Amino acid sequence: MEVTDFSQPIRQSSKGIIIIFAFNAFKFFKKFFVLLIAFGLSLMKGKTIGSLTPTMIWLGFIGILIVIFIIAILKYLNFKFHLSEDDFHLSTGIINKDTTIIPKSKIQNVYIKQNFLQQLIDVVSVKIETAGDKKAEIEISALDKPTALLLKKKLFTKANVDEHSVEVTDGRDVFFKVTPKRLLLEGLSQNHFKSFTLILAFGFGLYTEFQQYLEELEVIEYAKDYVKVEEGTLINLLITNILIVLVFVVVSFLFSIIKTFIINFNLEVVEHQKTIEINKGLFNKVSLSLTPSRIQNIVITTNRVKQYLGLHSLAVRQAMTDQKQQKNFNIVALEKDQVNYLIDKLLVDYDREGELSKPRPYFMRISTYHMLLFLAVTNGLAFFIFGTELWWINVLIVPLAVLYVYYAYKKAYYKISNNYITIGSGVIDTTTNILEIHKIQGIKLKQSFFQKRRHIASVVISTASKKVTIPYVSKAEALSIYNFLLFKVESQDRDWM
Amino acid sequence: MNFTNLQIETENIPQLEDIVLKPISKSYFKIIVLNQLLLYALLVSLVFIGKYITENDEHVIINFWYLLLVVIVFCIINFIYSYLAFKKRKYAIREHDVVYAKGLIVHSIIAVPISRIQHVEESRSWLARHFGLSTLKLFTAGEAGSDLSIKGLPHLEAKKIKEIISANINGSN
Repeated sequence: MEVTDFSQPIRQSSKGIIIIFAFNAFKFFKKFFVLLIAFGLSLMKGKTIGSLTPTMIWLGFIGILIVIFIIAILKYLNFKFHLSEDDFHLSTGIINKDTTIIPKSKIQNVYIKQNFLQQLIDVVSVKIETAGDKKAEIEISALDKPTALLLKKKLFTKANVDEHSVEVTDGRDVFFKVTPKRLLLEGLSQNHFKSFTLILAFGFGLYTEFQQYLEELEVIEYAKDYVKVEEGTLINLLITNILIVLVFVVVSFLFSIIKTFIINFNLEVVEHQKTIEINKGLFNKVSLSLTPSRIQNIVITTNRVKQYLGLHSLAVRQAMTDQKQQKNFNIVALEKDQVNYLIDKLLVDYDREGELSKPRPYFMRISTYHMLLFLAVTNGLAFFIFGTELWWINVLIVPLAVLYVYYAYKKAYYKISNNYITIGSGVIDTTTNILEIHKIQGIKLKQSFFQKRRHIASVVISTASKKVTIPYVSKAEALSIYNFLLFKVESQDRDWM
Repeated sequence: MNFTNLQIETENIPQLEDIVLKPISKSYFKIIVLNQLLLYALLVSLVFIGKYITENDEHVIINFWYLLLVVIVFCIINFIYSYLAFKKRKYAIREHDVVYAKGLIVHSIIAVPISRIQHVEESRSWLARHFGLSTLKLFTAGEAGSDLSIKGLPHLEAKKIKEIISANINGSN
């Protein structure tokens, strides 16, 4: 195998033209979707639009494709990158030439991704991300895999060279590989409210969109006739409604499961000496490395059902990654001891022992207020829409509200050790948030007018990726946390990235 | 590796209670007052315009003096609130961090370690220039909103703080 020399400006693989072409064509057609449909319809009917004949439309269509193709070639020719001692250089642009230089030490992530088309023609795209501006993101869309891996390695090894010696062995130690059964369980035990509302919104949107067509096709009339046959009894109506709800529930279950499968297909956690590599995805294959020094927060989530099934998710938060990318840092369906192992790997000397402190019972008072407000709103809405008939719904909601308050307080705790802060929260989910003290960016002491009399305050801790709150502790406790954390951050002189 | 792990006496570390927070410049209250006066002048004139337009209309029976009274009472309450809230705006610069306190109903004290500040900005509006004031903005990394902006600092003071912090940022790199 020939080893690629990155010190000279090189182009990506010539297959890149196809990727750029496909990407641009897709973007173009997405933009002029409506127009194209109009043209397409007239083509189907063989009619003319104004003075345009079908042949001319075809020719125009092909012309556009050719233009996009030429642009793709030019883009490809003008896309060059190389590596120098400490920086990554990239020059792009057909008419406006852009040169981007990223110092290796500022690179936060290097992803290797492969979408469906890239899988077909066997190339991968490399994405380089910094913690800064979102525009500074770079994507090389077509490289063959060995080159990509080499590039990634070169980008990382140099960056770390001053911190610790270059990684010696490159042993591939697969630490965790998800089985289809566990993925299925993971999909099943998800919070289905989310996908349920999504499906509902989607169905509703689809309905309003195609209402006109449906009316034209007289589907409604047909359906009405159909219903009329069974009309008459209330039970039939009830059954129909229950069936509709059931269909939605089943669809949202399926949706959750399929989504989980597509995103986490063949999820694999590979252990390297200093880093951890995550590979996953069905249509969009992603491979990314986690460097402990770049991690800002670690969030572990599970819920009652998942806990019983031994399913835990571990999410890693980094500075300034966008929401879509953030999701890639989730490792799902982990066993409890696998989570612990990963934490030990990513967070040096994380102390699992130590006593947990609880917020003041004032916490319950606040969540009770929240729930009362919620009850008032739901009752008000129910009253205005359905009148007094729906009062019985409170029989369902009130116990749930009580449970909410109870569990929210039961699951809330915080622990501050020498180097780490651990905060537990959640109602349905059980969430554990861990952050390193030296990665704190700012601390806020918050106290409302009402809390002042009770000597209660909250501490809000910001890192580069997330804000976490230690809610409602006594003022004295809050002050000592505040002082301790500030002292820790300022006396240590450790970098946050 | 010279690593030490001495026990920290929590009583001996710097305490937040010991910081003497400085109030921001009194002139800044003038800016707040001016801004609010502008707003209420607008509201009052709206009331009068409304009165003028509907004067000849028999169907609209609104007591304009009540409306005016409501606006004025609101204005007075707002002024009192602004004054009390203004009194709460305080700041302090320590060796290693910048501390800013604000808020009447929800009082918060924010501390940003100087070593975490990415860049500093001093901005001055037209009014602020007139009163010799400026706003000091401190930016930290990340979008989690630990950025700090201290309004109503005397221009010279802001400049000095900016220089101290800039020197610190450049020194650490």
